[in-house]
Amino acid sequence: MDFDLMVEVTPLLIRAAWVTIDISSRAIFFGFFVACGLVFLQTFRFAPIRWFARGYISVIRGTPYFVQLLLVFYGGPSLGLRLDPITCGVVVGAFNIGAYMSEAIRGSIESVDKGQSEAARSLGFGKVQTMVSIVLPQAASLMIRSVGVLAIVLIKNSSLVSIISVVELTYQAQRLIGSTYKPLEIFTISALMYIIIIYAVMGIIELAYRRATRYTTQ
Amino acid sequence: MEFDFTPVVTYFPTLLKGVGVGSLVAIAVALMSVVGGLVVAVISIYTKKVVSWPLRFFIWLFMTTPLLLQLYFLYFGLGEWILIPAIVVGILGLGFHYMAYNADIFIATIKSVSDGQYEASRSLGFGHWNTILYIIVPQAFIRSIPQLGNNMILMVKDTSVLSAIGVAELVYASQYAISVSFRPFEFFIVIALMYYVINILMELGQAWLERQTAYRR
Repeated sequence: MDFDLMVEVTPLLIRAAWVTIDISSRAIFFGFFVACGLVFLQTFRFAPIRWFARGYISVIRGTPYFVQLLLVFYGGPSLGLRLDPITCGVVVGAFNIGAYMSEAIRGSIESVDKGQSEAARSLGFGKVQTMVSIVLPQAASLMIRSVGVLAIVLIKNSSLVSIISVVELTYQAQRLIGSTYKPLEIFTISALMYIIIIYAVMGIIELAYRRATRYTTQ
Repeated sequence: MEFDFTPVVTYFPTLLKGVGVGSLVAIAVALMSVVGGLVVAVISIYTKKVVSWPLRFFIWLFMTTPLLLQLYFLYFGLGEWILIPAIVVGILGLGFHYMAYNADIFIATIKSVSDGQYEASRSLGFGHWNTILYIIVPQAFIRSIPQLGNNMILMVKDTSVLSAIGVAELVYASQYAISVSFRPFEFFIVIALMYYVINILMELGQAWLERQTAYRR
């Protein structure tokens, strides 16, 4: 182990880790809105709109994230869609995680017993009010956990953005390994950074989970 | 903006060759990760901490770092010692990655087989390892099938990432064709479609396998 080298490359990798955090957090943020939109579309009476949402989710989940990234980045310009690498990473990440997240959100809403919303409706709650103050609080505990897992998957998948030359953690690590020929040292530091990021996210999820379940009996 | 799919038709044999290489990699990785995952799970449950803790550490390490980083590490790390073809590095990298995920599943399902099974088998005269091999592991394996199927579907999609280290699978095979035809959109759409078809077939296969084994769970 070459510790001098490890100390030397750490600042470079920290700067790259910020790019990873930046891309991932923006993708998760926008992805949440994509997911809510998809869940909303699936509640439409008009069947083609529901089919569109189902089809979109199926295609996104059935093709590799990597290919989606290449399609939008290299194929986008022929549709007049020119994105710089970072924006492309955020957009593709958001539309990708949105499909997975919408399934997680729908699943957690459906996991709430139907009697709950029926009871609320018969007590005079409106449709929106039932959803907001009866169903969602009960769905929250499951939703936070499953959305959290997806967020962690997205952070790991954000390494693929390095292929379209975004200087994030994996790209920087690969470049440093190539120039120093010390794979073990570089891998150790960059793996440590991913682990720190992922554990921080897990901590946030746990806090949110505790907050969401603080009034429920266990 | 007009689409021209003729280059895709011209280079279709190349793409099919890519599918072939990808399938080969996927089959090798599936075998390696399921068998290896099972061995790792059994060892990490039933042996002393000196052996099991390093294994659990590796499972944890492979699950908390991205696949691409692991691939680069393996590619450059192994390259220092011996000269091996990219496809072998790809199979090993993807294999270790999914071995960790499968081992994680096997650990959970092996623990879910009730202690009564172990005790009954011992009292019928089976030895410790024979009980594990003939009584516990088969039950755990059947219970793991749904989650193993999910992992294998994810794995097939992840073979596309291997193009980053130069494995000649579908995405890599299209690179040359794209660079001469300047038609990235058409090629990537067709590639995505191919993956989608493979994915649907695998989902059907998984559903069939789950139905076939449902009565044993």
